[in-house]
Amino acid sequence: MIDVAVRILLYGAVIGGIWALVASGFSLIFGVARILNFAHGIFFILAAYIGIVLIQSGINSYLSTFAGIVIVGGFAVGIYLGLLSKIKDHEVMVIIVTLAIALLVEQILILIFGEHGLSYPDFISGVVRIGMTPITYDRIVAFVVAIVVLTLLEVFIHKTNTGKMILASSQNYEGALLVGIDVDRIFVITMFLSAVLAGVGGVLYGQVFAVSPAVSLKALIFAFAIVILGGLGSIKGSIVAAFIIGYITTIANQFLGAQWSEFTALLIIIAILVIKPTGLFGVEE
Amino acid sequence: MRTEIRGIDLKKLVIGVIFLIFSLTAPFFLPSAYVYLLGMMFLFLIFVISWDVIIGYTGQVNLGHTVFIGLGAYTAALLQVPSRFQGSIDFLASMPKAPIPISILAGGIVAGLFGLAIGVITLRLKGYYFALVTAILPLVFMKSLYVFSDIFGGEEGFSIGLERSLAESTTLRYYYAFAIFLISFIALYIIVNSRIGLRFRAVRDDEDLAESIGVNVVKYKVLSFVVSSFFAGIGGAAIVHYRITIGPDLYDIPLMLLIILAAVIGGLGTLYGPLFGGIVVYLLKNWWLQSLLPVIPSWLPINDDVILYAILIAVGVLAPEGVWEKIKEFLRERSGSKSSRRS
Amino acid sequence: MMRKVLILVLLAVLVFGCAQQGQKPAATPTPTPEKTATPPPFGGKKEVVIGVIGPMALPEGTAEKNAAMLAAEEINANGGILGLKIKVVVGDTKLNPDTATSEFRRLATQEKADMMLGGFSSGIMNAMMEVMAETHTVFLSDASSPAHPAKVAKDYNKYKYWFRISQNNGTTFAWDLASMIDFLRDKGVTINKVYIIRDEHVWTDAVMKDLKPLLEKRNIEIVGDEKVPKGFTNYDQLLLDAQDKKADLIMPILAIAGTGDILAKDWAELKIPALLAGHDLAAIDAGFYTKTGGAANYEIFLADGGALVTAPPTEMAKHFIDAYKKKYGHYPESHEAYGAYDAVYIYKMAVEAAYKAGEKNPFDPNVVVKYLEKYKPGNPAKLTRNVAFYKNHALVWGDNYVRNWVAQWQDGKQYIIYPSTVANGQLKLPPWINK
Repeated sequence: MIDVAVRILLYGAVIGGIWALVASGFSLIFGVARILNFAHGIFFILAAYIGIVLIQSGINSYLSTFAGIVIVGGFAVGIYLGLLSKIKDHEVMVIIVTLAIALLVEQILILIFGEHGLSYPDFISGVVRIGMTPITYDRIVAFVVAIVVLTLLEVFIHKTNTGKMILASSQNYEGALLVGIDVDRIFVITMFLSAVLAGVGGVLYGQVFAVSPAVSLKALIFAFAIVILGGLGSIKGSIVAAFIIGYITTIANQFLGAQWSEFTALLIIIAILVIKPTGLFGVEE
Repeated sequence: MRTEIRGIDLKKLVIGVIFLIFSLTAPFFLPSAYVYLLGMMFLFLIFVISWDVIIGYTGQVNLGHTVFIGLGAYTAALLQVPSRFQGSIDFLASMPKAPIPISILAGGIVAGLFGLAIGVITLRLKGYYFALVTAILPLVFMKSLYVFSDIFGGEEGFSIGLERSLAESTTLRYYYAFAIFLISFIALYIIVNSRIGLRFRAVRDDEDLAESIGVNVVKYKVLSFVVSSFFAGIGGAAIVHYRITIGPDLYDIPLMLLIILAAVIGGLGTLYGPLFGGIVVYLLKNWWLQSLLPVIPSWLPINDDVILYAILIAVGVLAPEGVWEKIKEFLRERSGSKSSRRS
Repeated sequence: MMRKVLILVLLAVLVFGCAQQGQKPAATPTPTPEKTATPPPFGGKKEVVIGVIGPMALPEGTAEKNAAMLAAEEINANGGILGLKIKVVVGDTKLNPDTATSEFRRLATQEKADMMLGGFSSGIMNAMMEVMAETHTVFLSDASSPAHPAKVAKDYNKYKYWFRISQNNGTTFAWDLASMIDFLRDKGVTINKVYIIRDEHVWTDAVMKDLKPLLEKRNIEIVGDEKVPKGFTNYDQLLLDAQDKKADLIMPILAIAGTGDILAKDWAELKIPALLAGHDLAAIDAGFYTKTGGAANYEIFLADGGALVTAPPTEMAKHFIDAYKKKYGHYPESHEAYGAYDAVYIYKMAVEAAYKAGEKNPFDPNVVVKYLEKYKPGNPAKLTRNVAFYKNHALVWGDNYVRNWVAQWQDGKQYIIYPSTVANGQLKLPPWINK
């Protein structure tokens, strides 16, 4: 019984951590630029795909991963500057354009790599046993990296100047303009950050699980659901909600069976929203 | 030159007439495979224009429109194959097969009723929260297809038999589909241009203001949701009688994405915009881009879908208010600076 | 005002133009040089049109297309079918029933396909069968749902044009899984408890229905029956659950979930003390070993369709694999390729047999059906596999026909380990299991 509890604690944390990365990225760009980036799921898997391709051509795995993540960040900035900045006042069209970008990249990935999953090479391979529960090193790495990155994010947002400007822009766009913040530059930085967060999450996901084009939709749905559950505009809320969702899926998997694990999470999200329509930590808009 | 005759915009009339002539004579100059495609397109258009009612006219971002399409479809399908209830709800299994018009109407009614129930519960959520909850709903209904696979047929779906289709000949089936579409369009047109439609738009433009001038916001939101769902259900039921088979794809996300693309590219809140967008997107996806296929070198990871999405991105960036607005602007400019009147 | 009308007329002409262009076939051209012999005309027939329909963005679809084109090329180089050259036309289902039915209809009515081959995905097959019933087109297809041959059995005259050539009925999976267990036991592996992980979909229900009594007969306890939805990833918990329940065998019955690679990965990484053996569509993919980073090693799986690149069952299969590699630069990317290749050849054989027997129009679908049916148990067509059809037009199952061979990944290669008629490798146990 203790065993099962330990298992749930450990495995739920891993998934929670990965989702927290994705969700915080989604929440960031939405909070700051009011952009519902439907291409977020693509950033999630693209970094992993690029990393895998580079590693397979012989480049050092840490370098490849770094390159993959940075390239995805650059891609996001490119999308913003080239396309989204021109239409960012039309919120609905932004959704459409990012949606079309997501579908386009997904199709291209299917044509190049096929539909089946691709595994991301582990940084550290092997298994360790905590009590009777085996847990792979890549899962431990995933959790640790997630926590470190999220902590760095918090520090960045609250302690650095750029971070504070981001916070200001998300709280009051016009106010930030008035105070002289170069809001456009902030948007670009946020876009880069958001994609990097998703990319890191994707690489970790690829190590623990696998990446396939279909995963992009899953990541998007979960990111969207978690951010809403946590409450729009609250990054902390997204992180907490991510772990909640991670644990719900893990617990449901254990006790209700695989068929219901993710479904239960979605139902609970609906239930919570019906009871508290602004999410767990959301502020009334 | 007067551009209005008895309140009906002459430009729109001309476009409408050309469209009608085209649609009515299509089977005479198009090969039957394409006539079949056009019929499906008209039913798809019902999905798109019914969605415009809730999002374009009432401003509620309902991402679960396919729930009602699927409900209408499965209702109609089960009314045609009631034997599927054998072993679960036996008394239903001995029902006679419903006549087709009743089947389609029933699809709309069931969808509308679910729209009422779901609307009442979810419409108190605002903006993105509402969007998310409605986005998740289709997944819930899809799950039910797999759990109750004896009735619904799971991932394989089932067929209702050629004898239960709208018509056995492709041409006649096409005309029936067009007729159903036309009736739906006219009905929706009347609704959105009536006082009810006015109130929908009031809710969309400024909820608090609408409330303060006496518009019952909740009532009209729910009404819009029900109208939107009803016609989605009609479309879903009709499509089952058109293509004879039913499957989970009518609930699924790709269909919702296509509807979204079509409606928004066309231009929300205009009914004509989504109509135009629907025609263009559907035909691009299923017909026009195919002729490009042999030209694409095989080493390039590009297929017709990739080209479609690229076009949509371009259109989205160049015409962010929707293509219909751009067309109206264009036509307005042509007729001189005189008509600054809103079409 | 006039200008607006002009613009609209221009638009109309544009659409007309598309309609005209639509009538031009979007065909993949196979060269049609002048025929040397003067063949007997069949109502003015100039060529044989074979339509390939499948999901062209996926390896299953491209495999079908490539295989069909290869077969057509070979046949055309040898005089075609009764002197007529084959033209291959392609339709993309995009895994969508609406697109699939429209495309099928287009290929059958517009391109005037004499025969259609391909498919993939049982739900879409269902939809296409209805169009086939309308257009009376011979359809040599794929997918595995028992619902399809059931349709033929129930309403023969309507659906008789359908034959399944690519793989066996879904129910045969149960028989082959049971044989697999018998084989493993023969080799000394203890199997008393089985933990099943399967798609939450209809097709596995059909397999389970037949599998349960077979397991019971062998005194095997099913300690777990987990249904997983599409895209499921948390296999680690299930595997640990299986370990808790002391399962000897973890049996996947997966195809739609699409995440068999994660299952293999978790199994290998967590070193679960149970064999991983069952039906996992992902494992058949020739790139599976690399895609899982080697975790697939020692996974035992059923090879749908009765052929693996590294274990061709017949001479013709060997020739096909080599020719495919030569023409396309890689091996067949999916087992549907064998079905497609065989389909073209068996059609040729049926038509030629009909002609020899004096049929006035050997291309008449009703006639072709009659001659295809002659390949029944006892009289298989020897192609890349030995193909024969039951009365309900499903593929005949048996050691000397097509079976879902029991195969295993070993150090980067796929080997068939059972039955002995086609085996080219021995069972290898993963090093962390000592039985």
